[in-house]
Amino acid sequence: MPNTLLSGIIQTFKRELKRMVSRPIYLLGSIGIMAFCFIFFLTFFNDGQPEKMPVAVVDLDNSSFSRQFIRNLKSTQHIDIVEHLSSFKEAREEMQRGKIYTFVFIEHDFYKNVTTNRRPEMTFYVNNAYLIAGSLAAKDISYMSLLTSGGIQRQVLRAKGVDESQIMGIIQPIMIDMHSIGNPWINYGTYLLNVLLPAMLHLMTLMLTVFCIGVELKERTSKEWIENADNSIFAGLMGKLLPYTIIFIGLGLIGNLLLYKYMHFPLNSSIGWMFLATILLVLSGQALGILFIGILPVLRDGITVAGVFGTLSITAAGATFPVEQLPYFFRELTLAFPMRHYFLIYVNQALNGVTVSHSLTKYIILLGFTLLPLFVYKRLKSAAKDMNYPTK
Amino acid sequence: MNDKKDKSSSQNSIQSILKGIWNNFVHELKTSFRDRGVVIMFILGPLIYPLLYAGMYLNETLVDVPIGIVDNSHSSFSSQLIRNLDATENMKIYSHYSSMAEAQQAYDNRDIHGIIYIPKELNYKICKNEQATVSVYCDVSSFMYYRTIYQSCNYTILNMSKKIQILRLNASGITGESATMIADPMPYQNISLYNTGGGFASFLLPGILVLILFQTLFFGITMLAGTSREENRFHLLVSAKAHCGGIFRVICGKAALYFLVYSVWIFYALGIIPQLFNLPHIGNPVDLIKMMIPFLLAAIFFSMSVSVFIPNRETSMILFMFFSIILLFLSGITWPQSNINGFWKVFAWIFPSTHGIQGYIKINTMGSDIQHASFEYISLWAQTAMYFVTTSIAYLWQIKKSERKQITDNEISIIV
Repeated sequence: MPNTLLSGIIQTFKRELKRMVSRPIYLLGSIGIMAFCFIFFLTFFNDGQPEKMPVAVVDLDNSSFSRQFIRNLKSTQHIDIVEHLSSFKEAREEMQRGKIYTFVFIEHDFYKNVTTNRRPEMTFYVNNAYLIAGSLAAKDISYMSLLTSGGIQRQVLRAKGVDESQIMGIIQPIMIDMHSIGNPWINYGTYLLNVLLPAMLHLMTLMLTVFCIGVELKERTSKEWIENADNSIFAGLMGKLLPYTIIFIGLGLIGNLLLYKYMHFPLNSSIGWMFLATILLVLSGQALGILFIGILPVLRDGITVAGVFGTLSITAAGATFPVEQLPYFFRELTLAFPMRHYFLIYVNQALNGVTVSHSLTKYIILLGFTLLPLFVYKRLKSAAKDMNYPTK
Repeated sequence: MNDKKDKSSSQNSIQSILKGIWNNFVHELKTSFRDRGVVIMFILGPLIYPLLYAGMYLNETLVDVPIGIVDNSHSSFSSQLIRNLDATENMKIYSHYSSMAEAQQAYDNRDIHGIIYIPKELNYKICKNEQATVSVYCDVSSFMYYRTIYQSCNYTILNMSKKIQILRLNASGITGESATMIADPMPYQNISLYNTGGGFASFLLPGILVLILFQTLFFGITMLAGTSREENRFHLLVSAKAHCGGIFRVICGKAALYFLVYSVWIFYALGIIPQLFNLPHIGNPVDLIKMMIPFLLAAIFFSMSVSVFIPNRETSMILFMFFSIILLFLSGITWPQSNINGFWKVFAWIFPSTHGIQGYIKINTMGSDIQHASFEYISLWAQTAMYFVTTSIAYLWQIKKSERKQITDNEISIIV
């Protein structure tokens, strides 16, 4: 009995290899697209952080003080002063054109008012329609304003004869010592790539799994497929999916190596744990693919479900907007997405480097996904043999 | 006499062109709505997807992110600080821990997303007029955690610092108005424009809404093309018979249908949904319509051009679903456009979605008029012209191919 099973798998495996090279979609959809994603995502966020973003100033004061302040702003990480404008209206219009993300407004006689203790107000306008650009630029401007204000305080206090040892305590009584755990450089690429690359892999695994099974149903070759596997749907599925398992795991591991060895993104535990998570992600993707085409044995319906599920996986992972803060219904729903569990493993293992026992349940859940095809075992078998579903 | 004849014949030809367009329109309408897959793409997709995404991102900002406290100071000052942190909208104190190790454990369990460490000497330093330090450890698994915790801590601690400053200045003999002046010689104000609450949905969703329209339109058109190729005897997009005299009529007939259907969706997804979910909607409707006409046309002709290369119904979904995410990044709303490097910037220009998203955000979120978004406006019209030409060439090529095959087919049947 096991012998016939094995021969069924091997026969299907050979049959599938021939099918794979018969049409370009199989290799394009796996290797082609993942290669594009690797190149795209690794070259797109070139600096890791959006540096030197365009910012304008409306400097109506035009004193040595305001010019010094602008020079200081220019030296910060995220800001480049690209325009000197003469009115608020002009600056607002430049913002509406999308040419600048923020502008600083320094009023007339600003420095004079500082020296005569009139407390002039420095205002900066941030365009939060581009939330990331806006908040990073605003962070640098408020930092520089604080620093400048500290400089003024120091001068005044010295002039008043306050003891030098007390000055720092007055200027900044409490200092914040900020630590970002695991990603001290606040590298934006780290946030995204660690989720986007696996999510792309997952999406393509889902799609191709549904496709390679569904296309047999659509082209009415499924009966031959099952017969070729000695009439065992198990052998048929194993042999059919094995080539993709190998390809996608290979691509996934390359992705891991690129992230942690080439880009040197934070990896605070053994890379083996991420390898394991990636392998399980591929397997769970294939299992879900079987589930989808099993429930909807019509190729295009299966593909649509796989596509929607795959793209929603990115939101469900919780890297962009934290899952804990989603509405209740969606929060619970994210558990149905392998990417959610993969993401939690990544946070635990790669980012925070905690003991692996924290991730154990997530590994087990990912493994549990592979049991899903059992639910559609019979349905898929009858669909394949009787071919009683529409092709369109 | 001659003039009259010319006029009537030209009238006739205009009539026949319009009739051709109408016939193609009806033909496309019938094939589209007989096809369940296309109905899903053209009707269900643009109807449900916007609701789904708007529902998911309903909670714009993070509220009450759980934070752990390690308070080694145990002073009235530290408890004041903790109360103030707890009072912020964005954070709540989840629990107090006796040591960093204990807090770390809660962090590892993901019970808390940040730790605030108050050292033993805080109160002592405050009393001695020295500079004290408070350490903040924050989760960066999501940019939103970092942003929220950083801003809330900064705000709370700066406010408390201001009060201490005054006390210390008083102690140095500087009192009254002059103390306030020295404590804050140059107050600064951070005014956020357009997305005033700094909401995540208000920032990301407008882009996603445009993208949903673009992608469903693209998948619908390419699916129709793939299907007609599968069903066509020669695996070609346009059969020689079907084009009823002139590719112009085929293209315009089809495009008119897509345009009509998606005009409704533009009104729904970009007009009604933002009002319903309280997303930014300060745009002038006339400017918005002006921007969306070339966007829709460019998207239609772009999809029709690409559809020539789509051999099967499912091909485009498999090969281009992943591209939705790529298009979102190329549009320059998350990663700023100014920081996209040369090659990808040019690459991004090719796709109507880039300009559609930017144009929509500029007009609808930022209240620009069409002049301010002239780059997008002109680019979209340029794309409309460009992709109309490529569609024409592609269709012409397909028809030629189809005619050639028909001839050889006839010859074969004669020989047989």
